[in-house]
Order: sequence, then C-alpha cells, then structure tokens
Amino acid sequence: MAVLQVSDLYARYSAKGPDILKGISFDVEGDDFFAIIGPSGAGKSTLIRCINRLVTPTSGRIVFDGQEMTALSGKDLRRARRDIGMIFQEFNLINRMSVMDNVLSGRLGYTGNLRTLFRAFPRDDIDHALRLLDRVGLSDHVDKRADELSGGQRQRVGIARALMQNPKLMLLDEPTSALDPKISREIMGLVKTMAQELNVPCLCNIHDVKLAMEFCNKIIGLQDGVTMFSGPTEQMNEATLDEIYAMEVL
Amino acid sequence: MTPRDMSIATAAEAPREWRRFRYPHSLVSYGSWLIAFTVIVYSIEYLEIPLDRVLGMFGRMGEILANRYYPVDIDYIMDVDYIGSVVETIQMAYLGALFGLLITVPLAWFAAYNMTPSRLFVYPGARFLSMSCRAVHETIWTILFVSILGFGMLPGVLALTLFSAGFAAKLFAEEIEAIDMGPVEAMWATGANLFQVMVFGVFPQVRVAFTGIGIYTWDVAFRAATVVGFFGAGGMGWYLKRNVMQIETERVAAIILSIIVLVLISELISAWARNVVMKMK
Repeated sequence: MAVLQVSDLYARYSAKGPDILKGISFDVEGDDFFAIIGPSGAGKSTLIRCINRLVTPTSGRIVFDGQEMTALSGKDLRRARRDIGMIFQEFNLINRMSVMDNVLSGRLGYTGNLRTLFRAFPRDDIDHALRLLDRVGLSDHVDKRADELSGGQRQRVGIARALMQNPKLMLLDEPTSALDPKISREIMGLVKTMAQELNVPCLCNIHDVKLAMEFCNKIIGLQDGVTMFSGPTEQMNEATLDEIYAMEVL
Repeated sequence: MTPRDMSIATAAEAPREWRRFRYPHSLVSYGSWLIAFTVIVYSIEYLEIPLDRVLGMFGRMGEILANRYYPVDIDYIMDVDYIGSVVETIQMAYLGALFGLLITVPLAWFAAYNMTPSRLFVYPGARFLSMSCRAVHETIWTILFVSILGFGMLPGVLALTLFSAGFAAKLFAEEIEAIDMGPVEAMWATGANLFQVMVFGVFPQVRVAFTGIGIYTWDVAFRAATVVGFFGAGGMGWYLKRNVMQIETERVAAIILSIIVLVLISELISAWARNVVMKMK
C-alpha cells in the first residue's frame, strides 16, 4: 500500500493563469526515496507544495495515509500536515531564535496556544529535540542563534525540525541548492540514513541529476508541468535526461 | 590585440545615442517640473502673498522676540505646580503610547495583507480603523473627548491612544508585510495554526522593528501631549493656553523653552534606546 498516491494532478496560481502542473500521477511507497527532477520552472516546487497543501491544486487526487488531502481544510488539514515533514531550499529557519527553539517548532502542531506563546514545550519534546540535534551533529550548537550557523549546519537544523514531527512522509524542496557540492552530498546522505532508520519515505525535488541518481531509487522527470519520465533510477539514461532538460538548453 | 581592446574597438564602430529620458518619458519628466513650478507661482499670485513682507519679517520677528519674549521667565517654569503639569504630560504621553501600542499589535496583524485572518472582511476593517485614527488630528480627538468626558487627563490619554494606535499600526503592518515568508511557510508545514505561525514565524522577524516603532511612538506621543492640554486635556498645554490668553509673553517664552528642552531630552533618550535596539539585532 502506497503512503502517497497522486493522480492526475492539475495546478495553477490564478484562475486564468496557465496550468503549472498538467496531470501528474505517481505513487510513493513506504521505503522510497523518490526524486522529482526537471529544469527550473517545470513545476517541481508547485508539485511538492500541493502534497501538504501549501498550494491548493485545481483538480486531481492526493491520497496520503488513507486521507484525501485535497478535501481537507482547517483543523483536519493541520492534523494531516503534522505527519508530513518538510525541508526547504532556503532552510526557512527562524533566524532570530535559537537552534533549540527552531527544532522544537516542529512540534507546534501538537502544542497548545498558551504553551506556544511562552515556548513551554513538554519535557518529552525537549528530550526528543536534544536527541535529534545530537544525531544530526549539532549538539554543540543547541543555544546558538540560527543565523550564526553555516549553510550546512542550518540545513541540519531543518532536518531535525522536520524529524521532530515524527513524520510519515518527508518532502524535500531542493534541499541542497544553496549548498556546495561536498556539503550537498553530506546532507543527502544524512537525510537518507535518517529516513531509512526511522522508516520514512522521502519525496525530493532536486536540481542536481547526479545526486538524484546516487541517492534516489525512483525518479519522476517533469518538463513544463508534464511527466517526461517515471520509473526506477536504473531505467534513467542520457537520452531521457537530454529530453527532460532540452527546454533549458534553448 | 587583446579581447578587451577589441570590444572597445567594436563599440567605437557603432556609436549609439543614449539619453536618460526619451520621448515620451522626457515629456512627462520635464512637464511635471513645469507644472509644479507653475502651481507654485499661481498659488502665490492667487493668495496675494506679499513677498516683500516675507523678507521684512525677520527684522520684526527679532524685535518682538527681543522686546516681548525676553527675558524668559525662568522662575515660572521652576514653580512646583508647573513641574507637576510637566509630570502629568509625561504620564499622559506614556499611557497614551502604551495603550496605543497594545491596540497596535492585533490591529497591525489584521491590517497586514499577508497575515490577516481574512482578506475579505478583517483586512479592510482593520485598515479602515487604523486609517480613521490617523485621519483625525490628535487635537480634534482631544476636543471631541473633552466635550464628551469633560476636562482632565482622561480625554488626553484617550486622544493620544487613538493617535498612537493609528500611525503605529500603519508602520507595524508595513513591517509585517515586508517579512520573509519562508519561515511562515515552514511553520504552516508543521501543522501550526495562524496564532502559532504569528508567534514563531512572524513576531521574531518584526520584534526589533516593533521596539523601534514603540520608541518612535513615544516620541511623537510626547510632542502631541504638550499640545492636547491646550484644548483642556491637562498637562503643560493648559498653562500654555492660559498665558497666551493673558498675553504673559515672557511666561509663554519660558513654557516654549521648557517644551523644546523636554522634547530634546526625550529625543536623545530615544536615539540612545534605538541604538541599543539596533545592536540587539
């Protein structure tokens, strides 16, 4: 049984605007590390944001963990989002808060308003956060402000924040685009190890085809909102890649 | 020939004309200067402002200041009653700015287009409220509240509250609209609700700006507080009015002097506080 089933997904940003996604379908299984590749403007970010409904698709179905995501709103939507961790290209940390508070913010979906206001997270959450920070190699930086860290360290905070949710699915939106090649590989390796350890499938937008081939077991290739390739990584070849990235050359 | 020389040579072969303003942009640009100038000249003509008297003004002003407003009646402003009114003015400004800022937090949130709970209802309502506070001058608020509540501190505090809330809310809403939406998106993604997104995603980004706006609000509220008394809301403005009416010009001079000194002190403190806040980042 697939964790996430996307079928015939269409999305656009304004009523009269062009379709950004034109009938995308794919399934993510329990142990997948699923890559979405394609040139800039192909709709990768839109697709990944449709999954947790940061963007509302115009039509199509997204079934996550047995629920139809497109039908949810309000409290139900927030409950569903708690089970989906997300990691961002620009890290999207709260720069003026400490590393610890940033990681704890992953628990907001489980925290009441009053506790939120005083940042009074339960003891269990704090222990969990400390364990995760230890695990991503930031145990010496717990009380530092997020903007004092380097790019790679910030993305590690992002990973810890996403894992704080105990997610059933991880969404990664270009997690390595703001990092240098060496750190990129480290970050991808860390995500993969953690995902396997915790048994969380990942859906990852990625620009760097080499990284995608190295870390992911399935690939979907988008071009201008249309699926150009979908299948296991081994089936991907130079010709298909050229086709997917053809637009960018022009 | 190095590639660099070559590019210069190629450029020299094809000289092109370049002007900052091209038609019709040039017409708009020079035309608006012309219109602005014409309106100035026309207004001066229409209002029959005698320019020769403007030039002769300074001599008379010096004379009047020297003869009527000097010597300044320093003893008058050293009086216990007057100093009491200064303290009253400071308290009035403090309460007005404080209450105004308390109202500002929700008002600015609702009036910020990117974070408002509802773009259809709450946003225009909050915008209208903050605009109404600003549209009416603080002295008019004072007159209004004095006529409802009678003389005293209360109408002054209320007038200053509305006045502070009006412009602080506008500035603060603009700050909220200018934040980086990345952390906000990240907070939504964790399943947080709007309140939690505000606490974690928005307020940390605008905290320093809010402190700055708070200090500025105090600054402006204090200056306004010296005036609201003029319309019966207590404080030093009342002394100013009485002495103006009685043509006690030397005392008026002393009061104006005390206002200048107090505003100066308040601005120095504000500048220092703003500096401290800036370093906090």
